[in-house]
Amino acid sequence: MDPSEVEFLAEKEMVKIIPNFSLDKIYLIGGDLGPFNPGLPVDVPVWLALNLKQRQKCRIVPPAWMDVEKLEEMRELERKEDTFSPVPSPYYMELTKVLLNHASDNIPKADEIRTLVKDIWDTRIAKLRLSADSFISQLEAHAKLDNLTLMEINTIRAFLLDSLNCMYKLRSNLQPGSSKKQFTDY
Amino acid sequence: MDTQSYLPVEPGVGMEENFLSLDDILLSHERLPIRTECRFPRLGYLERSTDAQDIPEGTKMELPLWLSKGLYEKKRRVLSVELPKVYREGWRTVFNADPNVVDLHKMGPYYYGLGSQMLHFDSPENPEIAQTLLQTFVGRFRRNMDSSQNAYNEDTSALVERLDCLEKALFASGQSGLNGFQSWEKGRASQLTASSLVLNYRKRKMADGPP
Repeated sequence: MDPSEVEFLAEKEMVKIIPNFSLDKIYLIGGDLGPFNPGLPVDVPVWLALNLKQRQKCRIVPPAWMDVEKLEEMRELERKEDTFSPVPSPYYMELTKVLLNHASDNIPKADEIRTLVKDIWDTRIAKLRLSADSFISQLEAHAKLDNLTLMEINTIRAFLLDSLNCMYKLRSNLQPGSSKKQFTDY
Repeated sequence: MDTQSYLPVEPGVGMEENFLSLDDILLSHERLPIRTECRFPRLGYLERSTDAQDIPEGTKMELPLWLSKGLYEKKRRVLSVELPKVYREGWRTVFNADPNVVDLHKMGPYYYGLGSQMLHFDSPENPEIAQTLLQTFVGRFRRNMDSSQNAYNEDTSALVERLDCLEKALFASGQSGLNGFQSWEKGRASQLTASSLVLNYRKRKMADGPP
């Protein structure tokens, strides 16, 4: 899976906007999007919010978790805990990147938020690597990780799956009986 | 996304080789020290050290893996294979002590592959060899993961030169994951760039030039 595909999936999340135009309720296959009245907040998917923002037809309201104090608390919690702490949104990384690139004028202290989210990301990736390493070095068969987001899984997926394949084959060497039958004598 | 023009057949890491895998074909060219258990008449030219017409019983020579595997039989009539140095007791203790310091590329670039193939030859040390292979892989995993997931836009030749071929493939997949994420974060993922295939083709055409 590509990071762009993960971003595509992230664009389904809802975000609040304040339009400056008016439009009746629109009926889309995925659901209805409420009537747009200038100055009144309305919930729309991120893809629509970005499009409207680029056409300068709305103002994006940052989500509740995109706030310096809340993110600082989250960062401290992440650093204290050994396991993964609950994440503000299952797509926090993508939403941060997309919203801060396109709508940074609507979001106060955008640079600090970017730094904080990057810190949280780095801490979580470090924990992910640590747990992957202990998983492999103890040759376990199952692992359970809560509160992981798709983007984090995506960065480590290729490497981890290939290594696990190699490990499986090397482990099957230890049981010679199972593979002997494939070696035919001519 | 970086799609390749073809998907290479990966090597079979375990005791079975993949017939179409280039890595396995190259692996099967590795020479093994063997000892003949019967006479090979009129094949004296294979053994350069003596000028005999045929190879007598008990000669020690080196044959490539593909030939040794084909000639080897359980009843031991034809030849018996000795373990290469790297899989013997001495080196095994080195690997068990600290797998990270060993230069696996120097120890034969196909350490894991050749080790798995050696298990076909029914040596009494087979379980220990298999165990050492697994432990070496597990021991080096952490460092490989860290180096492949953190080395962005750097010269990685110093990191890669001590890796065996299997680990190099893992390193490459780790790097591709990292590069994909970083280029997405920089926003390059949504820009149209020329495909690597087209760039290479264009370069080749210019090199041909006017005759």
